[in-house]
Amino acid sequence: MASDSSPNFNNGPSSPDDSLSSPIGNTFSSPGSRRRRRSSTPSAFATPSERRSRFASSEATPTAPRSRHGVGGGGRIPPTPTSTTDDAGASSDGGDGYDMDDARPTFVWGTSISVEDVNDAIHRFLRDFREASSSQGDDDGLHLHTEGKYEKLIRQVIEVEGDSLDVNARDVFDHDPDLYTKMVRYPLEVLAIFDLVLMNMVSRLKPMFEKHIQTRIFNLKTSTSMRNLNPSDIERMVSLKGMIIRCSSIIPEIREAIFRCLVCGFCCDPIPVERGRITEPTRCLREECQSRNSMTLVHNRCRFADKQIVRLQETPDQIPEGGTPHTVSLLLHDKLVDTGKPGDRVEVTGIYRAMSVRVGPTQRTVKSLFKTYIDCLHIKKTDKSRMQVEDSMDIDSGSGRNEEEVIFEEEKVARLKEISKRPDVYEILTKSLAPNIWELDDVKKGLLCQLFGGNALKLASGASFRGDINILLVGDPGTSKSQLLQYIHKLSPRGIYTSGRGSSAVGLTAYVAKDPETGETVLESGALVLSDRGICCIDEFDKMSENARSMLHEVMEQQTVSIAKAGIIASLNARTSVLACANPSGSRYNPRLSVIDNIHLPPTLLSRFDLIYLILDKADEQTDRRLAKHIVSLHFDNPENIEQDVLDLSTLTDYVSYARKHIHPQLSDEAAEELTRGYVEIRKRGNFPGSSKKVITATPRQIESLIRLSEALARIRFSEWVEKNDVTEAFRLLEVAMQQSATDHSTGTIDMDLITTGVSASERIRRESLLQATRNLIMEKMQIGGPSMRLLDLLEELKKQETGVSEVHLNDLRNAIGTLATEGFVTMHGDSLKRS
Amino acid sequence: MVGPQYDFLSNPLGAVRSTFDTAIASGTDPSSFEGRDWGALPLFRRFLFDQSGISQVPLLTPTSIRFLRPHTLVRYRGMIQDMPGNEFYVGAYKDGSVWRTNKFMDVSQYPICSSADTRIWERRLLYCVPVPGLSPWTEVSAEEFGNLSMDWMSDSREKRRRDEESSDAPVSYDEVQDSPNSKRMREGEDSSTSPHSSGAATDIASSATRSGYDIGSNSPPCLVKVYDSPESEMKLNDIFEFVGILTSPELQEDNEDSDLSNGFSEDPLRHFPPNQVPRLHCFIHRKLGIRDFLQNNPTVEPKPDLVKGIREALLRHLTAILGNDDVTSHFMLLHLLSKVHARDNDLAVGKLSLNLTCFKKEAVSVFGKQLTLVLKNLLPFTFCIPLTVEYLNTVSLAPKKNYDTNRLETGVLQLAEGSHLIVDETKLDAGTLNSVGVENCRLLKNLMELQQVEYDFKYYKMDMKTDTQLLILSEGKSNILPADVIVPFHPSSSSCPEAVTAEVLEAWRWYLATVRQLPHSIEQEMQKEVERDLVAARQEDRSLGPQDLSRLLTMGRLMSLSYGETSLSLEHWQMVKELERLRRQRLQ
Repeated sequence: MASDSSPNFNNGPSSPDDSLSSPIGNTFSSPGSRRRRRSSTPSAFATPSERRSRFASSEATPTAPRSRHGVGGGGRIPPTPTSTTDDAGASSDGGDGYDMDDARPTFVWGTSISVEDVNDAIHRFLRDFREASSSQGDDDGLHLHTEGKYEKLIRQVIEVEGDSLDVNARDVFDHDPDLYTKMVRYPLEVLAIFDLVLMNMVSRLKPMFEKHIQTRIFNLKTSTSMRNLNPSDIERMVSLKGMIIRCSSIIPEIREAIFRCLVCGFCCDPIPVERGRITEPTRCLREECQSRNSMTLVHNRCRFADKQIVRLQETPDQIPEGGTPHTVSLLLHDKLVDTGKPGDRVEVTGIYRAMSVRVGPTQRTVKSLFKTYIDCLHIKKTDKSRMQVEDSMDIDSGSGRNEEEVIFEEEKVARLKEISKRPDVYEILTKSLAPNIWELDDVKKGLLCQLFGGNALKLASGASFRGDINILLVGDPGTSKSQLLQYIHKLSPRGIYTSGRGSSAVGLTAYVAKDPETGETVLESGALVLSDRGICCIDEFDKMSENARSMLHEVMEQQTVSIAKAGIIASLNARTSVLACANPSGSRYNPRLSVIDNIHLPPTLLSRFDLIYLILDKADEQTDRRLAKHIVSLHFDNPENIEQDVLDLSTLTDYVSYARKHIHPQLSDEAAEELTRGYVEIRKRGNFPGSSKKVITATPRQIESLIRLSEALARIRFSEWVEKNDVTEAFRLLEVAMQQSATDHSTGTIDMDLITTGVSASERIRRESLLQATRNLIMEKMQIGGPSMRLLDLLEELKKQETGVSEVHLNDLRNAIGTLATEGFVTMHGDSLKRS
Repeated sequence: MVGPQYDFLSNPLGAVRSTFDTAIASGTDPSSFEGRDWGALPLFRRFLFDQSGISQVPLLTPTSIRFLRPHTLVRYRGMIQDMPGNEFYVGAYKDGSVWRTNKFMDVSQYPICSSADTRIWERRLLYCVPVPGLSPWTEVSAEEFGNLSMDWMSDSREKRRRDEESSDAPVSYDEVQDSPNSKRMREGEDSSTSPHSSGAATDIASSATRSGYDIGSNSPPCLVKVYDSPESEMKLNDIFEFVGILTSPELQEDNEDSDLSNGFSEDPLRHFPPNQVPRLHCFIHRKLGIRDFLQNNPTVEPKPDLVKGIREALLRHLTAILGNDDVTSHFMLLHLLSKVHARDNDLAVGKLSLNLTCFKKEAVSVFGKQLTLVLKNLLPFTFCIPLTVEYLNTVSLAPKKNYDTNRLETGVLQLAEGSHLIVDETKLDAGTLNSVGVENCRLLKNLMELQQVEYDFKYYKMDMKTDTQLLILSEGKSNILPADVIVPFHPSSSSCPEAVTAEVLEAWRWYLATVRQLPHSIEQEMQKEVERDLVAARQEDRSLGPQDLSRLLTMGRLMSLSYGETSLSLEHWQMVKELERLRRQRLQ
């Protein structure tokens, strides 16, 4: 042991502390292994129990005798193919350092880290660390009455017989920054000590506990990008994010081998792996036998550990322009095996390591190349980089599982909050939304509200109110509706983008399919179900088949999809906002027709949209001029220069997801009052003084929409309270949208009947009067049983005498005659009619 | 510095070594290099550029690869097709008491003694392929090149001999240990004076042609190892010229042994077997533009009158090719000069894709062929896609990452910047597209509208920006590929264009390559004028969208560029408006 513990300060000539810049400097193939071995020294006197071999065996028997010798960390080297390490060990062990006795402090080899100090520090950390709120109980000696966070955790681990303890690196940092630094810089050594201390504590808490508990560090303060890993990171603890692209099959790796003598049947003691190799005994160990070369491996008595190699790739947001994604290999052991599958986004904490490449299986020569990989300590699955999928739009189910989800980095949150404090945040966000789309500010504001969304509400009675805002854009071709849709799709959580023409009802909702492997019928989700808690963007809404469109009724109000087919009856959640866009029926908006006639969508569906925007291409010279200026500057200036103060896409995404996740605004009394007042006012607007006709300008659906909109507006400000201004703005948005869609073109007032029944009040009056006029005319001109009259003649007559009704179309007349026919007043035969 | 004791061309490693030794001798600690240069690069730079040694450096081609010996200096031109990532290697190590370096080498020459200190450095791997669609005229004529290289070979051989004799450096490259191949090579050298005898090198040659990236066979694919360059400097699909050391495929890499390798088998190099893909350790690289592919790259100032003359001649030629269709040939010229010069979010500003409609099947056989030929002769990178249903259903247009081999498999649309693509839609018949076909259509449409191609990384897709000129030949207006400009093609005669002399052709190439790189601006007044015109046009015709206005401006820009002018003048603006009027007339 003495020779083993020789503190090799002898790599001097280059520079004693160059391990800083290149910690790998010394051993050739797996530098850590040697240093590791040094650090194992304390184990010899600290405890005779299980030594760390953390990456290898976890369930090793705690009192393995091998800990006596400095055997290369008991198989800690598996990743290192037997290489020149042996020589390294031999030559340096040869005693060129000076020996030291146990009384002197032991240092981690090549550094000035004292093993004892680290040991104490870790001990203090595990024993004394408490969450910030409790106390400053750092004084050793003082044993506080409350139990430390990690003591509690250790107890839990013991209770469930777990085999690992998750240690939050931030806690380590908070408690002892120095320890944190050491841990990150020399993870192999420090973790070994960590494990030892931990096992000490475990055995103190429960002496009979047999399992070996490993420390798993996670949540480092800094996270490296895969691209920036460089030689100086080797042998350090790193944390990176990426996406798993390949997993190897699970590789059983031998930990301990047992040999049996073929001659006498004697079984030897388990032989541990040493530096990736197991040496077969050349002769039987039994004294009576001693036959040579008789030992054979007994496979099923050997001990194996799981190992898996996983390939991690950069996620798209980390890749600079014009680059291809980088990849890195991960080595997983034991419990970490199979924690992720290809396609998962994970955050990995581990030790970056390098391994030399051998030229051939038999050759000792190594190429000058290194393969690098990460020895994994901890894997955390992260969510998609888009907006958080599992946002808690409906509160009751959302709150429970928030803990495990991605925690927004503090500085990021601070930045977002900064933005939210700006008085013009609403304008900035509007500007940042699809900045390359010209004008359409009010539409963008509506879309912004949709992104943020309102609060869903579930009453005790079971009734639920959706928080999602549905928007329909109707407009002339070439008004960049599709671009807006695409943009929102890019921004939204789980957005699904479909085109109405290509979507069928089942494609949108769900369909039953036969699983090719098992033959069972399975339910496959369609676009709407897949965009649960997201936004479903439907382009070419008008070109959708009637059948498919009718499926949307349920989704848009009840937010579920019910299915009853092939023996499967199910109701699936589809808590999605729908953003649809459509062309007017005549492909161009006809201002003489009503909105309903233009959009040509069933009123039942239309009423489910909170906001309906008409995007019309108005011949406005002012706009044209601005457009021209914009395009010219695009061509002749540097486009970067003309960009104004806008948020980039990722910031916007963060902003939206943060708000959706953390902000749940409630109506303030003032706002509620304003809401009531405004609603009553709108309702009143329908009653014209001196007019008998009744126009409904708002329905209860509108008030729900208003609530949602004002909640969304409060969210935009990161405010927990909906204020009066939000309500006012919501009214404005609704009005802007309604003015465009629900204006009765013949009177200029807002008429919700247009949306709900498709016929405006004034139109109804007009029809009424036409019907009356026709009846009078027929009474006048025709006798019962008399000669028939052609429809066109009737129209002529009508036009001649007509005064009240401005113009009469053949179609209107036909409708009127139809009504009369149902009354039994006239009969129609083709184009001619008879009084009956 | 006195005359160097090494020959840059035949023994570049000598230079590397000697500078390294010098640096070490002067007391620098190797760990302080951290992979950075220690003074070798300036030496090479001086040799290559100041002493114009670059012309002596042989170009790596399938033909020349037979003559080129490993560990010599070569030049290679190619497009970066894939980036297999970074590689960690032992950069410096101690052999006994002497520091050695491995930089610019595949294998260490001395067994790296484990007791020695080692420093790990990093280098970048780039997988390069010949530029897709490279026109034959860009190649150095083989004959000429052969002579050159032969001369050079014998020359350098002598030099090298001398070098070896006089050199007191303890080793030269072929004393590489543990490399049976190199020993064999030396034996071969001794026994025969023919340069063909170098067995390994021949291997490279034959297999390179076989292994084929067979689009344009003027250079083999090559794995370039780049040192000390910032990552942002090199992007996928950039064309580069690399000057570096060619290394031989001496070692059969065998990674199958250790238990780890069954999972780590995604070693990037494994799929580039060294006997098929030569390795190049790059000293110096420079980005190439289209102009660098011109034969004798005249550095003439683009004077307006000179440019105007060339323009007229080229336009005449195009008109003749296009059956005396004046309007079409004007648009063609503008199209050939187009280039994405700015991007605003998803919008690519400056592209001008052209759709020639009214191309009957018989017209294609006459004009289409001529046109393709002419374009091939004028532009360095051209490509032609015959669009059929079957083609769409089967071809892989977008590059796709194959995680089994850890390689980016190229697709047809992985093109270098400034490529020209002809899509011949006349052969398209009615048929059903499968999912691949639909995807391909979408890709083409994206390329057309946004000038970007989606690379498929299986778990996600990445948009790569491109700059491709697209020309579509179709019978009616193409629906798959909505081009910027649609011009009905009305040929009036099918006269054969007169033959063109090489010089004229040369001049045209120069014109196309140079003029489109010119900067461009607009005067304040002109800007007002243009804005007024745009507003008026929009007031008159509501169907004009931002795209149409944008197109007009692009045309204006290109029109003035075609005259070699750098700012838009009223005259050219009027010409554009007139051209647009004529085109609209045709459309009706």
